[in-house]
Amino acid sequence: MDCTLRLVNSTTGNAIEAQNLVKSYDGKKNAVDDITFSVRKGEIYGLLGKNGAGKSTTIKILTTLIDPTSGSVNVLGYSPQKHPLQIKKRIGVVQQAESFDFTTVENNLKVYATLWEIPREEAKSRMEELLELFELTDVRKTRAFELSGGQKKKLQVARELMHDMEVLFLDEPTVGMDPIMRRRILDNIRKRAAGGMTVLFTTHFLEEADYICDRIAIMANGKIRVEGTSFELKSKYGGLRTLEITTPDSIVETEILKLKSALIDSGLAQDAMMEGRTLKIVGKGITKALEEILRLARNYIRNIESINLRDATLDDVFIEVVNNQ
Amino acid sequence: MKIPASIRLTYRNIMVNMDTGTMVFMLGLPALYLLVMGSMFQTLISGVSVNGETISYTHFLGPGIVAMQTLTAGNIGGSMLWSDRRWGMFEQLLVGPFKRTDYLLGIMFVAIIFTLGGSFVMLVLSEAISGGFILTAISITLTVLALVIGTILFSALFLIISTIAKTMQAYNTITILLFFILDFASSIFYTITPQTPLPVRLMALGNPLTYVIDVVRNSLDYTPTISTLYDLLIISVITAILFAIARQLYQNIKMGI
Repeated sequence: MDCTLRLVNSTTGNAIEAQNLVKSYDGKKNAVDDITFSVRKGEIYGLLGKNGAGKSTTIKILTTLIDPTSGSVNVLGYSPQKHPLQIKKRIGVVQQAESFDFTTVENNLKVYATLWEIPREEAKSRMEELLELFELTDVRKTRAFELSGGQKKKLQVARELMHDMEVLFLDEPTVGMDPIMRRRILDNIRKRAAGGMTVLFTTHFLEEADYICDRIAIMANGKIRVEGTSFELKSKYGGLRTLEITTPDSIVETEILKLKSALIDSGLAQDAMMEGRTLKIVGKGITKALEEILRLARNYIRNIESINLRDATLDDVFIEVVNNQ
Repeated sequence: MKIPASIRLTYRNIMVNMDTGTMVFMLGLPALYLLVMGSMFQTLISGVSVNGETISYTHFLGPGIVAMQTLTAGNIGGSMLWSDRRWGMFEQLLVGPFKRTDYLLGIMFVAIIFTLGGSFVMLVLSEAISGGFILTAISITLTVLALVIGTILFSALFLIISTIAKTMQAYNTITILLFFILDFASSIFYTITPQTPLPVRLMALGNPLTYVIDVVRNSLDYTPTISTLYDLLIISVITAILFAIARQLYQNIKMGI
């Protein structure tokens, strides 16, 4: 059999498939708990969830680092347990944890190009392009461990893009980067996906997932709670609104907690949180119960500067899903 | 042309170790032993008696410093696993187009290359200082063989430590202690004779570096005898045992936790 032709599952056309996937590290608690999902070739699929939701464990199984406890997986038509090398030759992985060689930025890229057998001239031009794209040109002679957190992350992503791949696994790739760089990287990834590369992406920045992902799955406690396009999820959780009350004064945290309990207990909202001087109240029936909510909020907020009611964002969907798990 | 994965990893290991610190550790320190310690003790010791012959202290020290490269390079090789695990490169490389065996071979190969390179430099330096080493096909073959086996032995030893040490402090403490014991309870700096204090003599006899040094010294300074081959056999057996343990522990490293 010519293995190189098995770029996707021949029957389904999916680049990644996971069926009833379970992973338990200690035999008691499942880090990944019976999840089933698939990613089509050329699709950007987002796995969202709180820390410990099971996203990274899922990626580690798919990238052959760890074996699942049960269930089946295939990446590009190959089983990670049976044909790990066939998968590893065709994927790129940006791990959540820091990883770099103790040499200069430039050497990190050069060494990686050699490891992936990129022809010298090609490697040189790719390196220049990536150094430019990731704004690492000025620090090309700097040793990797001397870089800032964001620069190290940029180096990690740039290094991975030195070689060609069919599937790219990105585990929180933009941590520590400024918004302009984040957007630049996301656009680059989207361009590559348009060229047929499949991407599995995890992030804590939900606006990133909203921006880049074709489909999104939200994980909580090892399970996929919801899955769909960003539009579908927002529609599904339609009616979810966020009421933002900005106050000129700061409010004591205990007061916010009391208000949150009062709102949730009375069924007026699903969640409430303070961001700076803005109190955010998230719920489905906010529009109808606006007067009642404001009356309740008045008990804790003396002065109100502004009030804003807006539609659901992916953040709201995420909070709703995770809180109602 | 396809370059084998283990060779590509060896190249990577060389590149990441080509820094001033590693070079000082690999070449600077032994050279200082040879130059400073050698010349200082030379003024105190009129000569060293080995195999019934009296030779100058610097001439005695030369083969010891050459053989010491196995310990130094073995440490560099074995420590790569610790460093790669600590800095995320172990997992990163193993999600790349490599098998675990490729990674292990990459470590062994770089250690051997560093040993042979370092030993060559030390031999040239020793020859320049004291001269008179026997460089025949047999002496060179035996020396290279002892250096290669010794390097695998010490790489395996440091790989074992890399797999079992849980913290950087523990790793550093163990390696520093081991370095001291293996270096000084051996025949690098002095001969092991019946007059040597018993604890040191026992430690030296249980120290595989002693046997590596003996093979190198006997090959470069004298005509190798059957006891040279016995020494080689002893280090081969210890290497096989340590490598088997290291390989097992290495294969058992759990990832992604």
